Amino acid sequence: MTQLLNQQDGRWHMSAGTDTAWISPEEFQPDAALLLDVDAEPQAEWADASLIGVNFPALTDGRGLSLAALLRQRIGFTGDLRAVGAVHEDIVHFMLRCGFTSFELADERDPAIVLQQLTPYSQHYQASVIDPLPALVRLANT
Amino acid sequence: MYQYDDFDRQFVTERVAHYREQTERYLAGKLSEDEFLQLRLRNGLYVQRLAPMLRVAIPYGTLSSTQLRALADISVTYDRGYGHLSTRQNMQFNWPEIADVPDILEQLAKVNMHAIQTSGSCIRNVTTDHFAGAAADEIVDPRPYCELIRQWSTLHPEFEWLPRKFKIAVSGAAVDRAAVDVHDIGLRVYEDDQQQHVFDVLVGGGLGRTPVIGSTIRTALPAKHLLSYLQAILRVYNRYGRRDNKYKARIKILVRALGAESFTQQVESEWAMILNESEPLPAKAIQHMQQFFAPPELPAVNDATTELPAQRLQQPAFSRWVERNVFPHRKEGYSNIILSTKAVGVPPGDVSAEQMLVVATWAEQFGIGEIRITHEQNFVLPHIRQSDLFALWQQAQEADLATANAGLITDVICCPGGDFCSLANAKSIPIAEAIQRQLADADFVHDLGDVDLNISGCMNACGHHHVGHIGILGVDKKGQEFYQISLGGHAGHSNTQASLGQIIGPSVSRQQVQGVIGRIIDIYLGLRQQDESFLSCFRRVGIDPFKASLKEDPHDAVA
Repeated sequence: MTQLLNQQDGRWHMSAGTDTAWISPEEFQPDAALLLDVDAEPQAEWADASLIGVNFPALTDGRGLSLAALLRQRIGFTGDLRAVGAVHEDIVHFMLRCGFTSFELADERDPAIVLQQLTPYSQHYQASVIDPLPALVRLANT
Repeated sequence: MYQYDDFDRQFVTERVAHYREQTERYLAGKLSEDEFLQLRLRNGLYVQRLAPMLRVAIPYGTLSSTQLRALADISVTYDRGYGHLSTRQNMQFNWPEIADVPDILEQLAKVNMHAIQTSGSCIRNVTTDHFAGAAADEIVDPRPYCELIRQWSTLHPEFEWLPRKFKIAVSGAAVDRAAVDVHDIGLRVYEDDQQQHVFDVLVGGGLGRTPVIGSTIRTALPAKHLLSYLQAILRVYNRYGRRDNKYKARIKILVRALGAESFTQQVESEWAMILNESEPLPAKAIQHMQQFFAPPELPAVNDATTELPAQRLQQPAFSRWVERNVFPHRKEGYSNIILSTKAVGVPPGDVSAEQMLVVATWAEQFGIGEIRITHEQNFVLPHIRQSDLFALWQQAQEADLATANAGLITDVICCPGGDFCSLANAKSIPIAEAIQRQLADADFVHDLGDVDLNISGCMNACGHHHVGHIGILGVDKKGQEFYQISLGGHAGHSNTQASLGQIIGPSVSRQQVQGVIGRIIDIYLGLRQQDESFLSCFRRVGIDPFKASLKEDPHDAVA
């Protein structure tokens, strides 16, 4: 079983995971929940998915971070983008800044710790999916 | 140099708090060994053969006297009273306790320092010319761009989990002292016809198991697009670099697999799309950064009035030091100084707390309170008035920092090797020491001229053996330490093309290394024409005449 981390009424929240009826890219149809491997090549039609999951094979595998940035900035996907697979509480803050909006974590992860790890930094040097425009946010404002 | 503002200070403070909390979770058993490994590596903490090693970031090798004093304090409190200058312009401490590291980071944060991304598969500390902003041959000061890259790459959300480590170097002078040819990304900055700063971009250079000279994938990139172009390269690498084999995971393998042309096309098409999705770096952001690196106000001095020529005549040892360790400055009457850490009997790059303290004092007394660290593991004092050289030299002699060997064979680049590092196949420091003792005759060494001797204890090549004029690599043969010797490597820093060394033949035992090096020198002395340097001689005659150095009998060797 898994736990789901997402925002409900503007607050981050951990709850028991539910079964999602994922489909693969080959089976893609609009308004479905699409599950991608981290090496997927983004397709324009995926903007119409109801939910996109990106399956991380390992804590150290950063491909899904680039994929998320592309789904948001290039494909223009605005729906729920979920990190699944090897999702670790210490990577969630990077994932958030790449455009993920929900996270499926293994049952043994401690919800209290996970919720503490969402925003270890109050500010960042560089632009990101959720803080777009100039490459160095702070310098553009000097 | 760059001055932290409230943003930077708050950021490093939050980083210390974050790492402290991660360490506490690890010590409480809430993070596994493997999970914590990834987090501590990205904060510079290795667990080595004997004890942990903490690598402190010295951004592009520049630090203030205040910062160097803080490092001296840390070395006394948490280490054994010394630090180690790394081949990437950082400082390493070899004996900290894991539980103490958050406190060390807190002390570092007080002087605007950190250990962020000094190891792990992420963008490492950017390196540059150790004479940047002071060199006579500088075209564009690379430091404002280094700082931009430092900030952009710090905890970059997309690029913190790359296939492998990623090293960027920037050079802005006629002579490349940053070895940009052998970095994951090498940048050469210069002025175009309109006096605008532009970059040539090299990708896929590197040492390690598979040494490669980087390929130039773009020329004359406008400065405002520097970060978006880096983003395009990093994104292509992050998505397509191999992750199945750590020995094939560096970007050079990807560039080789795709071919430089096809790799370039991928980067260019990614970049074109990024340009549509983002804004270029505003000119005012670049100007803001350049203000931090404005040339220091050095009083105009009349060179002719200095006593330097007379001092050199009276003191041949001083004269030799001036010849080897004093480098031209952009302003009349000033110099840049290399303080060599390569005295005989001291592991290359090791500096004591006492030495750090006196160097910090000299920087204030004779310079502008600023110190550099070179990738050759020495200190640099920039902006030194020539009339102060003699006084500085006298004090440096007392501190064992006046060895007149910058660029000579005894100025050995050397990794920590099997004495410290758990990756090493063989010891490296005792080899360096034995060769330094063997070549104790300063006149002889001086006469040999420029020879880069680089020693790595394993094929990870932290001692840059591939680009040594003479390179020594520690290898393991059935549990025995052996050494493979190569010749003709070059990092590109004396204004000639970079090259990778060629192996002279079978590896030799530790006892044989000194003999082989001695015979290589003899062969060179027999072949050289007039003032021909070792590298020029090697390039003229090739490797064949040197193969005889592997034979025990010196008469065979020179025959």
